[in-house]
Amino acid sequence: MDLNFDVVLANLPALWSGVQITLAAFGIALAIAFPLGTMLCAMRLGSNATLSWVAAGYVAVFRAIPEVVLIFWMFYCLPPLTGFRASGLASGSLALGLVSGAYLCEIFRGGVQSLGSGQWEAAKALALPRSAVWLRVVVPQAARLAIPPFINHMTELLKGTTLLATIGVADLALQSYVLGAQTFRYLEFLTAIALVYFIVIFPVARFAEHIERKLANAMS
Amino acid sequence: MELLASLDFSAVWKYREPLLWGLFTTLWMACAAFVMAVPAGLLLALGRLKGGWLVSLPILAFVDLMRFTPLLVQAIWIHFALPIVTGASLSAVQSGVLALTLHVSAYVCDIMRSGITAIPRGQWEAAKALGLRPIVCFSKVILPQVWPLILPALANVAVSTFKLTAILGVLAINDLMKITNRVNNMVFRPIELYTTAALAYLACGLVLTAIATMVERRFGADRLTRRATGPHKAPAVPATTTSGV
Repeated sequence: MDLNFDVVLANLPALWSGVQITLAAFGIALAIAFPLGTMLCAMRLGSNATLSWVAAGYVAVFRAIPEVVLIFWMFYCLPPLTGFRASGLASGSLALGLVSGAYLCEIFRGGVQSLGSGQWEAAKALALPRSAVWLRVVVPQAARLAIPPFINHMTELLKGTTLLATIGVADLALQSYVLGAQTFRYLEFLTAIALVYFIVIFPVARFAEHIERKLANAMS
Repeated sequence: MELLASLDFSAVWKYREPLLWGLFTTLWMACAAFVMAVPAGLLLALGRLKGGWLVSLPILAFVDLMRFTPLLVQAIWIHFALPIVTGASLSAVQSGVLALTLHVSAYVCDIMRSGITAIPRGQWEAAKALGLRPIVCFSKVILPQVWPLILPALANVAVSTFKLTAILGVLAINDLMKITNRVNNMVFRPIELYTTAALAYLACGLVLTAIATMVERRFGADRLTRRATGPHKAPAVPATTTSGV
């Protein structure tokens, strides 16, 4: 077995274009997921039973279906259904965003619901208007609690962007696989990008654990 | 409406046998990976907790490497790069199941670890005082108390395992996703085929989620806290949600 990482360095431009695609997919998915998750969470916790039921159904469906399946479905079925020709990057990121929206809804809801009922009662006793109860009392505290699972989900989303490779989007994972096949240097390319993902995700995930512990200590 | 009228599910019906085989492959790979990952995760957890640093550090590195890199990268690494290291090449199905097992065992390890550390020290000491050998002490005294604590989290991991099998279609495995692609390449009926496949995955996913919810109700942290007596409160094992890839 001879290892030769020069071949990886020689192909850095191609890998860099893969990084850009990966980041674009991550950005698009997040831009869809964040407002979607917020809206679903508001619907779920709101007083309208129908809306709450719709949000719960959405979350159940999009958490039960594998991301890859939805990515394939979007890629092949959206163009004939809508007549709109979307690129693999667009339809794949949309699928990831729709799934992430369901997860973010649950993360936000978890944050809101772990607040003690005393917070609501105190806000009510102060006769704060409904908007102030949410914006000044609930959201600032719930957001703090939701940060660690939110960061964790971001690492999951970054890992999820690799799934776009299955519909031929030239992200970092597909680039390195193709380069490995062209040069017969699978070991070098695949090891290098596995390490890239690890180096990005590891500190972020550890940081989330750190804040989670700090929050837990502050609460008890 | 025109679109609905133009739908023709006869292609799905015509290729029902290969599609069902694909679904079967997906399901047995998920089962195999989960069934192997649970004991593997238990061994990893024991190594982490009782093995001394020479054992626990490599395990920590392995678990982090599995959790913090994408399964898709792991699967192609095991299928294409590992044979270069070991000299023995695996079939696509073997590589896929191996990758999934290793990936899931890392999550199981973390769950087992928090379950085992949640058992109060007194239990170990009492078992030791009775003169039980360490193996008997663990398997007859500690482990039976660990299972109810970790079952909800394990059930969630089972759901994730099923969802993750769809990724293994990147290797040349004839799972439901791959078969759907192949049939579509022949008959080009994407809406009918991919919708059918998506509904099949969704149905399996919903059934597994429903089972996980039932397990959660039966063994969830609420019930344990309610029953907990004495100085220690029953610790909730975090329900690790691996939306995980």
